[in-house]
Amino acid sequence: MAKRKRRNIGALIAVKNHWIQKYLPFTLGSLSLVWQALFFYVPLLCVIVLSFTGDTPYAAFQGFFSAVYVRIIVRSLGMAFLTASMCLMIGYPFAYFLVFHTHRLRNLLLFLVMLPFWTNFLLHICAWFFVLDRQGLLSYLLQKLGILSGPLMILNTYWAIIIMMVYFYLPFMILPLYTALDRFDQRLLEASLDLGATWWQTVTRVLLPLTMPGIRVGFLLVCIPAFGEFAIPEFMGGDRTMFVGSVIKHLILGAESEVAGSAFTLISSLVLVIVIGMLYLIIGRLVPSRYEKE
Amino acid sequence: MRSSWISRLPSFLLVVFTYLFLYVPLFVLVVFSFNKDPFPAPWSSFTLDWYRELWVSTELWDAFKTSCIIALSATFLSVLMGVMLVFFLMKSVRVQRILGIFYANLVVPEVVLAVGLLSMFSFLHVELGMRTLIIAHTVLGLGYVIPVVYQKYMTIDPHLIDVSMDLGATLGQTFMRIVMPLLRPALYAAGLLVFIISFDDFILSYFCAGSSAQTLSMYIYSMLRIGISPVVNALSTLLLIISSICVMLFCYYNVRSKLL
Repeated sequence: MAKRKRRNIGALIAVKNHWIQKYLPFTLGSLSLVWQALFFYVPLLCVIVLSFTGDTPYAAFQGFFSAVYVRIIVRSLGMAFLTASMCLMIGYPFAYFLVFHTHRLRNLLLFLVMLPFWTNFLLHICAWFFVLDRQGLLSYLLQKLGILSGPLMILNTYWAIIIMMVYFYLPFMILPLYTALDRFDQRLLEASLDLGATWWQTVTRVLLPLTMPGIRVGFLLVCIPAFGEFAIPEFMGGDRTMFVGSVIKHLILGAESEVAGSAFTLISSLVLVIVIGMLYLIIGRLVPSRYEKE
Repeated sequence: MRSSWISRLPSFLLVVFTYLFLYVPLFVLVVFSFNKDPFPAPWSSFTLDWYRELWVSTELWDAFKTSCIIALSATFLSVLMGVMLVFFLMKSVRVQRILGIFYANLVVPEVVLAVGLLSMFSFLHVELGMRTLIIAHTVLGLGYVIPVVYQKYMTIDPHLIDVSMDLGATLGQTFMRIVMPLLRPALYAAGLLVFIISFDDFILSYFCAGSSAQTLSMYIYSMLRIGISPVVNALSTLLLIISSICVMLFCYYNVRSKLL
């Protein structure tokens, strides 16, 4: 009797083990998927659904088709693309130099690029106050050198916002470019030049197409957060010029009108997605990318 | 040799200027944390008063503690979930097809996610506070952890796992003895990244914190709104030191994860 019972338990354990083996990985693994769905995709759906819950389904959107809001969205887009392009123009030669012209110091230099990216960005804003203020470092230097006669009045202008944005987002551009260039075989440049291509042809037909994935990632990583930025314009622009981020912040947290806020969020993100999509189509046409697949 | 040096000069200058651009503001910030008079005044004399003031500010330490708790929990949760997903990957490789859903975390602007989370929490009448912040930051962390862990897992030779299973190890044993040691450096690197991102995060905290919890970023934000105080400089000097330690650790683990 006892023996039989033991065998039963053994069988039971075996069955249980089988079940554990079969379903435990699934249950454990799907936890992250569930989390992602619950706290990422459901909130995004919330934004969409909430936008249509005004008095009439489209009531929330009607207020935003005015010149003021169109100008705000265009301004934010312009700022985001300007920031990304300037980061690319500084970051590409920079990453190129880092990958191909430094040897022993490379890790240290890369570390120095990453360090600002790992510190609180509000501190960078604070730091730039010290440089750009009327009595700040830059003003002082320019006056000492005799370039400016009066104090430098750059704070609270677009210039200050752009400088701050480029400063803050530069590492986001450099790191993907660095990865892309690190994988790039430098001998291809020599081969291209040896085979009679001009310097310009080598850059546009060999270097750029092969590092395109890095450029694309960097551009996205800069453009998207820059589009929704509200702290930098607030501090550097003196809260006078409105951007998409500041409008969302005012609507959601200030005026307590969540419906209008989510409607504006929806509209502006749609605009961003459409513009970036179109840009990628155009760039895809301009730069031959057939090498990428190999 | 000389001509190549001259041709490199413009790019060399660009690199030097970029580093100046990146570091001069931080340098000024650190220098002024030791200045006796608050900012608009020029340099007068050396003092540590601002650090002393920083040390006794209770509000600051509360904010620091809150930030630490949130960042640690978010790191723990997202890394744990990342690891468990690998467990799942060992069993069925089909799951990798749906891993694309995690890449959206990096593509959707943070403001949009913040608005969505806020509206969801208020719809469900969830009280805003530390819990909601941990949830939000964990989502942010998953977007970094899962791609890193997945890519690392894909570099592991699948034969190792097959061999271990064939020789009679259970799934759990294989995981603990074979997969985990190979994965560990990548996990440390990803964990550090999530920690610092959560610690420095401002937008999600600003939207999802409500009035009960104040993170360090929000504390700095409210201080900056009042005006620049040298206490902020002292705080940033300390944070810079913490960050550099974190980046050094990250680089170390990243290098190890590539070597192994």
